[in-house]
Amino acid sequence: MTIRHMLKIKFKLSLFNLLSKLVFTGAFLLLMPFIIERINLRQVDKDLVKKREQVLSLISDIGIEPFITSDSSFGSFNILKEEFISIERTSLEEDLNFIEESSRLIENEEIDYRVLNYSFKIDNQSYLLEVGRSLSSIKATGKNIRSVMLVFLVFIIIITFVTDTQYTRILLTPLERIKDKLKMISDPALFDRNPVKTTTSDFQKLDYALCEVMENLGALFQKEKEITVNISHELMTPISVLRSKLENLLLKEDLKPETSTKIEDSLKTLHRLQSLVNSLLMIARIESNQYLREDSFRIRELLKDIILELEPIAVDACIMLKHDLKDDILMKEANRSLIFSMFYNVANNALKNTSMGGNVLINSSYNHGIFRVSISDTGKGLTQIQKETLFSRFKTRDKNSGEGTGIGLAIAKTIADFHKIEITVSSELEKGTTFSFIFPENS
Amino acid sequence: MNVLIVEDEKSLAREIAEFLKSENFLCDIASTGTEASEKIAINLYDFVLLDLGLPDYNGIDLLKEAKKMNSEASFIIITARGAVEDKVKGLDLGADDYLAKPFALIELLSRINAVARRKFNMTSTDIVLGDFTMQVQARRIICKGEEVDLTKKEYDLLQYLVLNNGKVLTRHQLYEHIWGNILDDQYDSNFIDVHIKNLRKKLNLHAPSPWLETVRGVGYRISTGQTE
Repeated sequence: MTIRHMLKIKFKLSLFNLLSKLVFTGAFLLLMPFIIERINLRQVDKDLVKKREQVLSLISDIGIEPFITSDSSFGSFNILKEEFISIERTSLEEDLNFIEESSRLIENEEIDYRVLNYSFKIDNQSYLLEVGRSLSSIKATGKNIRSVMLVFLVFIIIITFVTDTQYTRILLTPLERIKDKLKMISDPALFDRNPVKTTTSDFQKLDYALCEVMENLGALFQKEKEITVNISHELMTPISVLRSKLENLLLKEDLKPETSTKIEDSLKTLHRLQSLVNSLLMIARIESNQYLREDSFRIRELLKDIILELEPIAVDACIMLKHDLKDDILMKEANRSLIFSMFYNVANNALKNTSMGGNVLINSSYNHGIFRVSISDTGKGLTQIQKETLFSRFKTRDKNSGEGTGIGLAIAKTIADFHKIEITVSSELEKGTTFSFIFPENS
Repeated sequence: MNVLIVEDEKSLAREIAEFLKSENFLCDIASTGTEASEKIAINLYDFVLLDLGLPDYNGIDLLKEAKKMNSEASFIIITARGAVEDKVKGLDLGADDYLAKPFALIELLSRINAVARRKFNMTSTDIVLGDFTMQVQARRIICKGEEVDLTKKEYDLLQYLVLNNGKVLTRHQLYEHIWGNILDDQYDSNFIDVHIKNLRKKLNLHAPSPWLETVRGVGYRISTGQTE
């Protein structure tokens, strides 16, 4: 089963990490102007109160007279009109102490201020003190704060994202190791039993559990292979006895021709049984590594041998057996007779599936560091179902395909796996089939 | 010649003995390692057919023992096909040949004859087949001073038939002899027919070859009116 949009856990965590940070930042950005304004205003209000206290303490030190005479008021502002302080007499009796936003006309310019109004009495005379700060300067401060915070925020996000990702990566390293261990094995018995280094108990448990499963599976596989080997061996003895008996019978001088034919027919059936058992035995033996792999040989020379073998059959069936063996490799640490069987089985199968006047082409090429042998025929091709069951034992048996047991391709596949050779099949109905053997890079 | 058959499957041993007796061998059967060990100690054999998979005796030990007691004898090892095949090849067991079960009786006889020929240096005889002469040593067929151009497979096929002069060989027996067991699954009686057809064609270019007979429904036979 394949699910699209599969992602690594590492990426998922990083992605989530990034998204959550972005959402958080987004929310913060939305709220920030409001918050900053509140903070800013509170700061400004505090400043205004502080200024008021400074003015009041100045007045209590030097008296009100330097600021204000009986008929005038006092006003002071800085050059950019960002702040002003004014004191004037007032007739209001009530105590004033509040902050408001209002506009003032200063030098013919109307400017919005945040103004602290405060009334106080000296010698029964009420005075009104106003301390103001222009709203535009307040906003400018807000903007400054905002940009500083923004830079800070981005900085924090980047730093935390990088550290989170790194930490996730380190945390998940054992999981990657376990995954690699699983990826590399073709046989549970070959599973790397060395524990993965980790301080995370979950991974440790997973690793232990996998080791155990693999061990059990390996033992089971081994048992199955041994059973196959043993059964096949056991079957050989009765086949031997029957065969010898029939052969002795056939040697009798006084047999009627029809008796001879019947005996020969029985022998044929027995041979089929023998072939089947042999094939099963061969597969089981290859799968349990009972074949030696210590031959070195050239593939081209081996393919030529196969062509030599099949040439008379092809000629007899009026099929052109062509070859183009332009590239060659030296195969090392291989079993020559097994490799021979593999190519032979597939090539012979190609001949069987090709009708009179057709072609079978054996081809070897070396491209981009990959050596490939392909065997193609102009036969009737394969249906999708045939293609899927091509390498399974006994499933492809076509009643008309001669005396083979239908296990030849399964054997070829087993031999290929044994030598880490990849087999691919492409086929088109009524056009033909191509088997490609892709050799491992190091061979 | 004197043959000891060491095989725990009694009915198989009996069949081998019956066959070899018809080929004028003297046969003795031992169905356990102990029995074999006793017989080897008392008698002198020319051939020992030894099944390695004996229930009571390590086959390799028995072989060593037998070689000591009966140093003149030739040994043909019979193995259950499989597990030890490669190892037998690799190990120098001191055996003259080995056969995997199940084997054709004819094949067993050919192996015995081949070992005997090697042993007694009888490889140089030429065999006359009508107008043809088979030079076994040189591996070629001559007709009226001219060599018949045969492929290796065709020659092997013909020689196997010739060495079993007078006997009908089934297609499978021929196939097994020439191609060995590894291609078992691909056995196709057509293979042999094609090769025999080509062989006849090539022979008939030089002279007729009525001595190469087809036995309907069974196989092929060389019939020169005389047995080896």
